[in-house]
This record gives sequence, structure tokens and C-alpha cells, in this order.
Amino acid sequence: MMLLTLSSYAMGEFGHSGSIAVVILVITAYTKGIFIIRDFMELKGVSFLWRAIMYGWLSMVCLAIAILYLIGASI
Amino acid sequence: MIVLTEYIETEPKLLPGDLAIWFFIFMELLVFGLFFISYAVTRLQNIELFNQYQLTLNSELGAANTLLLISSSYFVIRAVHAIRLNQVKSCIYWLYAALAAGAGFLILKSIEYVGTFATGISLSTNTFYMFYLSLTLFHVLHVILGMIILLAVAIKAQRGAYNAQNHTGVETGASYWHMVDLVWIILFPLVYIIR
Repeated sequence: MMLLTLSSYAMGEFGHSGSIAVVILVITAYTKGIFIIRDFMELKGVSFLWRAIMYGWLSMVCLAIAILYLIGASI
Repeated sequence: MIVLTEYIETEPKLLPGDLAIWFFIFMELLVFGLFFISYAVTRLQNIELFNQYQLTLNSELGAANTLLLISSSYFVIRAVHAIRLNQVKSCIYWLYAALAAGAGFLILKSIEYVGTFATGISLSTNTFYMFYLSLTLFHVLHVILGMIILLAVAIKAQRGAYNAQNHTGVETGASYWHMVDLVWIILFPLVYIIR
């Protein structure tokens, strides 16, 4: 997660923007979110309902951000 | 016996901590989620403005704060594992380490805000700063609340309230703290990096 954070920071620092950068940065944040929910919050193995709420929230937020930024990049 | 063993193996785990904290966490995530999507929708109508002023933010401090929160979450999970093994002293040590990382987050955030406010920026400067300040300040309030919860858990642990059989309080505090980390994991790239 530390490396993923540093890679996100480096992408911003080197001025990467546009559709590909948006997709990479959102996937990076999504991956870190999965790690936090599964390993830190220890939701691995709990009932489907709780996992669906947490992973569903993460997926919906990341998907909405990606779509809105990709629309912005195409304007 | 075989049937019973299979049943035990496939039975889902319970949520760590108190169930009430999870309803609180879900409500908090819903609010933050709406906040994030509002930011992205508003940006779509003001792309030039958001891209221009995003460059004025201190992304170094933002990245450092991300590393601090990830570290503190790791320290908290170590505290949870320690108390499950009845290692009370180790649990307290890891909780204070997490609190120190949280304090580091607040110090860096204060440095960032001092720099921001010194240039005369406020909530009414423009739409971007309105979102930047309100989102990050709202998150800071959650960091402070999370630290108060962790401190209360640490003090209770010092007084011998937790052990291998009774550690729901530690798990409850940990779950809230991980939520604070999870929100920042989205907030940081959204506000500081992605353009």
C-alpha cells in the first residue's frame, strides 16, 4: 500500500493527466481500499451482506469518480 | 461429525467489534460517498478552475499523511492481534503507536492549513477551495474522533478491561479507525492528484 501511495503521488508530481492516468489512479485507490476492507477491517470471511455493503460502497464511489473524470477528459 | 465440521468451516465470521459501530461506519461512508461524487460532478462543470487550483495544494504533505494513516491502521491491527493473544502490554504499545501516527497526521494537516490560510484562502474563495477545505476538515474531525476512541480504548486496556476473551472494545475502535483510513485513501487522489 505504501508503494501504491508513492506511485500515485509520483503520477501527480510528474503531471500525468488524462484518461489513462485517471483509470490508473482510480484502480490504485480501489486496490488500496480492497486491502483495507479485507485485511485491516477483517471482513474476509464475514457474511455476504456486510462484504457487499463495504465492497459495494468502494466500487460505486470509484466507478462514479472514474466515469465523471473520463467524461471530463473527453470534453 | 463430517457434516458438523463442514458446517463450522463454512459458517461466516462475525463482524469484528460492536455491531452498532458498523451501522455508524455505513452512515459515515454514505455521507463521504455523496461528498466525493458531489465533488466530481461539480468539477465536471468547472474543470479548468479545479485543475488550476488543485496544483496549489501540497501533495507532498498529502502523500505523507496517507503513509501515516496506513501505518496507523497497521499498528491498530497489530493491537487487535495482540489482545487476541492476551498480550495486553503489546496491545497498549501498538495503540499508542497508532495514536502517534494519528497525531503526526494532524500536525502535517495543521502545517498545510497554516500555509493555505496564510495566503488568504477561505471557504468562499472559490468552488474548488470550498470543496477542498470542507472535505478535508470534515475528515480531520473524524481523525480527531477516531483518536479519542483509540485513546479511550488504550486507557481501558491499561486498566485491565481487555483480554483474550473480552476484546470487543479494541475491535470496535479499530474498525472505526480503519474507516477513517479508507475514506482518506479515496480523498487523497481525488482532491490532490487526479486531474
